[in-house]
Amino acid sequence: MKYEARVPETADGAQEVTIKRWLYQPGDRVAEGADMVEAVTEKITLYIPAPADGILSEIMVPEGTAVHVGTVVGIVEGA
Amino acid sequence: MTEGFRLDLGLIGYEDAFAVQDRIVFGRVRRGLPPVVVLQENHPVFTIGRGATRENILAPPETLQRLGISVVKVNRGGDITYHGPGQLIASPVLRLEEIGLNANEYMHSLEDLLIELLNGYGVAAEKKELYPGVWWNGRKIAAVGIAVRRGVAFHGFSLNLKLDCAPFELINPCGVPQMPVVSLHQILDNPPDFESVKRDLCAAVERRYRHRLRDITRSELERMEAS
Repeated sequence: MKYEARVPETADGAQEVTIKRWLYQPGDRVAEGADMVEAVTEKITLYIPAPADGILSEIMVPEGTAVHVGTVVGIVEGA
Repeated sequence: MTEGFRLDLGLIGYEDAFAVQDRIVFGRVRRGLPPVVVLQENHPVFTIGRGATRENILAPPETLQRLGISVVKVNRGGDITYHGPGQLIASPVLRLEEIGLNANEYMHSLEDLLIELLNGYGVAAEKKELYPGVWWNGRKIAAVGIAVRRGVAFHGFSLNLKLDCAPFELINPCGVPQMPVVSLHQILDNPPDFESVKRDLCAAVERRYRHRLRDITRSELERMEAS
């Protein structure tokens, strides 16, 4: 089953965040809730958690890209 | 009204204090630890946020070594800033859902809280468009920067109370060349003492975010985390 990791709604919906750093690479095993991606605004760092236990199968948004709240940034394939 | 704690770490190294905060965040995220407002003063240190590069340090490493200033990379937003004795750092570790704000609103509410606090001391502090933080007369008196992990906000702000501002001349604070910085003792003839500001600050946090804070020591908190 595929699970989507999205930019969390704790950021202002009208505001863009920039994907700063992926803490895992495609093929890595991740645990649900673990910090998977760091996104930043000028003064805020947002940690995007892994949506499920599984394998990070796809990075949809590369580092350095600006995206809005709710954007799917990666896919985790779980059981 | 949410019950929480005020943890005053006193004068402490940045990395030591960071480790304490990190454990509290973990406790908030995973184990239902109550809210904690961490207060501290740091030994001289430049901290570099996620948005930063070392290019904004203008002095060579030898100068920093001679002045006893260390450099630490940190996981907050923002660029580079200086922390040192005489600067009060407050890190409310709060769940955003509990205070009804998103991350952006919370960051700006911290600026509002600081402006109210400083206005209470007779200081005409204000926001400055496009430049986060709190300003007086075109000079920055407080820096704000937060991080959010699974709905729990941490880091917070630093307020210059009786700070030697000279080290700011060795960096482009927050990535801005020649950004003027000021400390409260340079504005007021009789500035409030450190302990009074801590009390007033925590009272402001209690009012604004509907929390009730009671003092806790580091060892008491560690026992609570372990239980």
